[in-house]
Amino acid sequence: MSLVNFTTREITCKIVYYGPGRSGKTTNLQYIYGQVPEDRRGRMVSLATQTDRTLFFDFLPLDLGSISGFTTRFQLYTVPGQVYYNATRRLVLQGADGVVFVADSQARQLEENIESLQNLHQNILEQGVDVRTLPMVLQFNKQDLPRDLILSPQELDDALNFRGLPTFAADALRGTGVFETLKAISAEVLRRLSEGASGRPG
Amino acid sequence: MTATTVVEPWTEAPLVRYVGQASARLVVVMTPAGQVLAQHGFPRAVDLMGVSALGAAIVASSGALAELVGERSFGALFHAGERHGIHLASCRTPRGPLVVLTVFGRETSIGLVEVFFEEFVAALQAAAPAAEARGPVLAGDFEAELGRSLATLFGR
Repeated sequence: MSLVNFTTREITCKIVYYGPGRSGKTTNLQYIYGQVPEDRRGRMVSLATQTDRTLFFDFLPLDLGSISGFTTRFQLYTVPGQVYYNATRRLVLQGADGVVFVADSQARQLEENIESLQNLHQNILEQGVDVRTLPMVLQFNKQDLPRDLILSPQELDDALNFRGLPTFAADALRGTGVFETLKAISAEVLRRLSEGASGRPG
Repeated sequence: MTATTVVEPWTEAPLVRYVGQASARLVVVMTPAGQVLAQHGFPRAVDLMGVSALGAAIVASSGALAELVGERSFGALFHAGERHGIHLASCRTPRGPLVVLTVFGRETSIGLVEVFFEEFVAALQAAAPAAEARGPVLAGDFEAELGRSLATLFGR
């Protein structure tokens, strides 16, 4: 839940990048880390295995500056994508204000995308949150791969986007679509604050 | 002079007293999701956010581990380093569950930290107001400012 300090006029929001293993969640954060000036970001924390697979989470704090007179900070998290890390995914999801679902555009990964999306919905429901009220966007990553290996954004939209969420084609390795995805989820999360969604510690 | 900053004013007096009594170097009071309510000793907010994310993750993972082995919780955690020790514990308040991370040096001890931590929790529980709903925070036309802030961040 977003934390708002009316005295010092500060807002802190938690955004979680979710998706199957090797879909590019960590790559999104690494690209953002590389683009943002040092004085506007904290250290990127990665709890990873020796082979650089995310074990618990990656974490990147960002200082967006002033929005409507509030100093606005975002905490960006990734979850481990591999199926057997569901317990840690649930922990990282706690208190999320918004979710970016990073899908792998490779045709052979479609089942993994669907399973991961179902797993996300299950984990959100278990926290007592109505999935329809949680700000969310979809990113179709790896659209730079050869056409015969991937599904088009339209095909992925048909397969994954039954809620009609905002979608973004991306090549996170080179940064294509990363900025647009972050901008969209930021706007969705902050829109809830402008609409008067309740917030409290937790 | 190291600064103490608070998001919720009711945390300030108990925190200032605890820092002085326990001779703590750094203290973070946060929600279980890692959102900071009050802190002492961190010069940069973005550095503090990394520490709070890790502290909340340790508490969350040890809580999940406790559940798996049939314990209700494991209570406080303590790690001793060569120059610093950390004490990490959660507590319940009328404002909701909170997590407190304390970093201390050789000028104090884990025993003193534990003694004054109990007093700190009692003070937080006495001072905490009940959680309450809130109205709109941002103006409806925030999106243009958000767009400009992100464009600046990404050098666009």
